[in-house]
Amino acid sequence: MSVSVAIKGFAKEFQTADGQRLRVLENVDLTVAAGEFVTILGPSGCGKSTLLNALSGLDTGFEGTVEIGRSAIGDARPRIAYLFQEPRLLPWRTVRGNIEFALDAARVPRTEWAGRCVRWLEAVGLASFAEYFPLQLSGGMQQRASIARAFSIEPELLLMDEPFSALDEITALRMRQLLLSLWEADRRTVLFVTHNSLESVYLSDRILVMKSGPHSRICDEIGLGHMKRPRTYDDPVQYEMQRRVLDTLMRYV
Amino acid sequence: MAMLLAVWYAAAWLPAKPLLPPPHQVLLYLVQDVQKPEIWKHLGATLMRILLGFALSMAIAVPFGIALGFSVVVRKLLGSWVVIGLMIPSLVFIILAYTSIGLNEFAAVVAAALAVVWVLTINIWESAKAVDVKLIQMARGFGLSPVRIVTSVVLPQLAASLMASARFGLGLIWKMVLFVELLGRSNGIGYQIEYYHQLFDLGRVLEYTVFFVAIMLLIEVVVLGGVERRLFRWRPAARLA
Repeated sequence: MSVSVAIKGFAKEFQTADGQRLRVLENVDLTVAAGEFVTILGPSGCGKSTLLNALSGLDTGFEGTVEIGRSAIGDARPRIAYLFQEPRLLPWRTVRGNIEFALDAARVPRTEWAGRCVRWLEAVGLASFAEYFPLQLSGGMQQRASIARAFSIEPELLLMDEPFSALDEITALRMRQLLLSLWEADRRTVLFVTHNSLESVYLSDRILVMKSGPHSRICDEIGLGHMKRPRTYDDPVQYEMQRRVLDTLMRYV
Repeated sequence: MAMLLAVWYAAAWLPAKPLLPPPHQVLLYLVQDVQKPEIWKHLGATLMRILLGFALSMAIAVPFGIALGFSVVVRKLLGSWVVIGLMIPSLVFIILAYTSIGLNEFAAVVAAALAVVWVLTINIWESAKAVDVKLIQMARGFGLSPVRIVTSVVLPQLAASLMASARFGLGLIWKMVLFVELLGRSNGIGYQIEYYHQLFDLGRVLEYTVFFVAIMLLIEVVVLGGVERRLFRWRPAARLA
């Protein structure tokens, strides 16, 4: 139902406009156990999104090995949901149409579509907006719709690339709560990328800190297993941990 | 519209030796002729050629334009040929078609299509280049196959440009078809216009012209307008102020 992730010796080289070769990532090792919520925390441009692209199959030009579950990339593709910073909804389809688009792509049988649409739209609070078009919704609502879309395919791995960084703080706070409440139900494997230290502490089981590029790699790991779940915003341990995280970040930037 | 009629009346009545028949004369001809089958048969022939010519040119322009927009290989190999095709006068295509295929219906349709396919291809090529890569990445992230990505993510984004191409293409093609008929067919609106032109019957020339423009306007408003409304329900109305 949920898969583990293992990345070994990952390196990625980009060719810049003037022909230079830029090694953005060098020797990255990371593992995520099935059902774990792991955050990759690092400054912009350190290559965090590159890792997600490799995991999702969007990028195949890298060195090292990437394994999802027991099979290496290239075997039968596990069900992956990728949540981006922008909602990336198809504007010409209704909210329901967008969820069905993902269900179709993930080869979920048609008989289950109606039930899943209802269930997940209700879970994100958009039940009465199923027939609206994305451009008729606010940014927060659009992002909620894309969360519903991601969860509706019951993914074995959830990849999230700074999904809340474009939202205002209040909406972002609510979205994080929503995300955790959805995640608690099934505890799927999540790899979450962000540059926000408080967000990383609030959401995850473990934080992997990346230094800034080039030649970026995972340089520290902070465990949050001692923090109780469900997480709340008024937990003082959270702010202590955030101080620790910020210290670590500052050391490597 | 009123101004047009006013100018027409003036042009008809002012000169000492009137060449231009007044509007009401043309209207009279029209009212008489629509009750007889002849004008409708010509219209039918012309519309059929327009439809086939348009379908043929879109069937080539759409995949060609998409390929040019997405494939570097195709662009390098064939890109300049599209521009060359655009430069060649349509008359050349029509003459080439008639002389190599024969003075027949098939040649007529091919000729009309060939005259127009280049500009449609370029239109679609430009919008293929402007397709939102982020939506394609999202679709790939969910595991959609490349073919399905083209049909469900790329093509809808081309809808606006396809609509514009359709309008523009239709506008071009019907003039081409009239020209094609004039040069090598024995029926159709274009043929009739040339026939009456050679008899110096300007009244009937205008009659056929007005009739045809009216029909094309009807198609534009009812058919294309209807399609456009349905296709773009999802877009919020843009306002500049």
